[in-house]
Amino acid sequence: MALDFQTLELLRRNHPAWRLLRSDHASLVASFLHRVFIAPNVRTMAQADLAEALEDELFALRERHGAESFPRSAAAYLNDWADNEKGWLRKFYPAGSDEPHFDLTPATEKALAWLASLTERAFVGTESRLLTLFELLRQMSEGSQTDPEARIAELHKRRAEIDGEIACILDGDIPLLDDTALKDRFQQFLQLARELLTDFREVEHNFRTLDRRVRERIALWEGSKGALLEDIMGERDAIADSDQGKSFRAFWDFLMSQRRQEELSRLLGQVLDLAPIAETRPEPRLRRVHYDWLEAGEHTQRTVARLSQQLRRFLDDQAWLENRRIMDILHGIESRALALRDAPPPGEVMELAENAPTIDLPLERPLYSAPVKPLIADVELESGAAEVDTAALYAQVVVDRAELLRHLRQALQERPQISLAEVIQRHPLRHGLAELLIYLQLAGDWPQTAVDEDHQDLIEWPTDDGTIRRARLPRIVFLRMS
Amino acid sequence: MIGKHPSVAEVEETDADLSTVVIPLLKGVIYQDENPVLWNGLLNLQTRVRDYVAVLGLELMLDEAEGYAFLRSRPAEDEEQAGRLPRLVARRRLSFPVSLLLALLRKKLAESDAGGGDTRLILSRDEVVELIRVFLPAGSNETRLIDQVDTHLNKVAEMGFVRRLRGQEKMFEVRRIIKAFIDAQWLAEFDQRLEEYRRQLMTGDLSGDE
Repeated sequence: MALDFQTLELLRRNHPAWRLLRSDHASLVASFLHRVFIAPNVRTMAQADLAEALEDELFALRERHGAESFPRSAAAYLNDWADNEKGWLRKFYPAGSDEPHFDLTPATEKALAWLASLTERAFVGTESRLLTLFELLRQMSEGSQTDPEARIAELHKRRAEIDGEIACILDGDIPLLDDTALKDRFQQFLQLARELLTDFREVEHNFRTLDRRVRERIALWEGSKGALLEDIMGERDAIADSDQGKSFRAFWDFLMSQRRQEELSRLLGQVLDLAPIAETRPEPRLRRVHYDWLEAGEHTQRTVARLSQQLRRFLDDQAWLENRRIMDILHGIESRALALRDAPPPGEVMELAENAPTIDLPLERPLYSAPVKPLIADVELESGAAEVDTAALYAQVVVDRAELLRHLRQALQERPQISLAEVIQRHPLRHGLAELLIYLQLAGDWPQTAVDEDHQDLIEWPTDDGTIRRARLPRIVFLRMS
Repeated sequence: MIGKHPSVAEVEETDADLSTVVIPLLKGVIYQDENPVLWNGLLNLQTRVRDYVAVLGLELMLDEAEGYAFLRSRPAEDEEQAGRLPRLVARRRLSFPVSLLLALLRKKLAESDAGGGDTRLILSRDEVVELIRVFLPAGSNETRLIDQVDTHLNKVAEMGFVRRLRGQEKMFEVRRIIKAFIDAQWLAEFDQRLEEYRRQLMTGDLSGDE
């Protein structure tokens, strides 16, 4: 990739990893996500757990830096970080759970890995890297060699080297790696082991992208079904047969073999017990790093299996044709519904079968039981004085809703539309606020009304004691029913 | 599971099994993820269930890939006979907005399938409002619109096509069973009815409207 100005500017603006580094909250986001996801090798986490952990973190930070430093709630931060705009977390609903779960996006993982590379490393082992490079080159050149003689020559050469080594040891000359060489190699092992763990998220992400691309191709396919199947199914399984799929499967098969796992455990234990390595105090988790790989790999494996299954279902003959046809029809429905927007069909339009037979179970109904008759005891009424304002009993106003409705209808017979203020001008309010409220209620039920927020209408009415009350409200316009 | 010549004991046992499957089916949809045991029982007894419900004029609809099963009235092959038999599965009448909402949700599901990723389509109420807003009369009152959409959504939920997420009132899952009901045939009929109505509206041939 060319690192020219334009590309970098684009990345700076759009790439989630860079945006994470640029963000004001970068330290919070990076430290928190590293602690929760990377350090313990957690793949996905439920919203409640993650929010709780973040709430704790925020609490500690607020203690130290003042209450205003991080004003929002943990849930708000999480949603913000999972937003498409930011793209630092992937929020999704796993099958069988109603609670959203979160996982790191590969971009975040990259940013975190880069941040980690800024701080660590006492020295950079170069020897082991060179040896690794040599080994890789050898594998490639040998693995692609078709000439049997060249291959055999290479094997003979290696046998000669091994023979020489055996002879040396038999002579009592045992070459040992010195401490520095050990540390050098160990450091590289550490880095690669961690990178492998980091890569799983990206592998999963790649699978998801692959899946989406295949689906897009299917959705946009213009030709015949047969040609499509040839195109996609030519490769037996679009996902499993991709480069990513094959490499992952090879890795998985390699790791899954019992012999490999035992060998890994043995070697790891041996190496970690070496004095120079033990001195560097490696993380205790490292002893079981291959189990972490297994765990992460299994997660990826499940994702791949699910995606493949879904894709196959999507490609399923019937579903494919049905979906195409449905999209066509829906297009028609949408344009017709749009045309009918202002006069939608009244009443029932469609019928749909229930999803189960209707079974009436008369005996499930409770039997008749005689209602309880309240017994009113014969108590003699006594007169007395009570401190109650009886005015409330007589002050009730009854607004004639039908009359107001008539006012509206009459007004609309003369003209296509009228504002509420004009209606009230013609028929002044006699019951004050209560009457105005009924008008507003009518406006709510009126089939066609418009509210003009830009204009305000002033509505006035006199109260019984002669004072004038005013109400100011946005202009409400009643339209004639078409 | 069922041998060619089942012994008496086996028949008795599977009869009991048959009840445990048929009774829940008569009550409603069986989902694989909600009740895996029942689901497996259903898969094993599929043929017997089909034969059994056929007596009642019903047909077992079972989608193994999607993991749901339900009963529906057998399509009337013989009109005469169908006319004489009362329907066991009632038909629900739907208003225009509810029908439209169902169609739009079906579209959303098709789009989501085409877009890949998760099998589950989860929408917030706001998204549903956005989905249908453009088709409703240009209104003024935002809260009223939302209330209306809520009412329609409740109807759709009652029919079992969406499900509120537990603990999150404003989030809905569009259940994949909607595919079995809102199919191409249903949608084509809806389209046709709308077209008929539109033509009536244009020719002013609409009676009974105020």
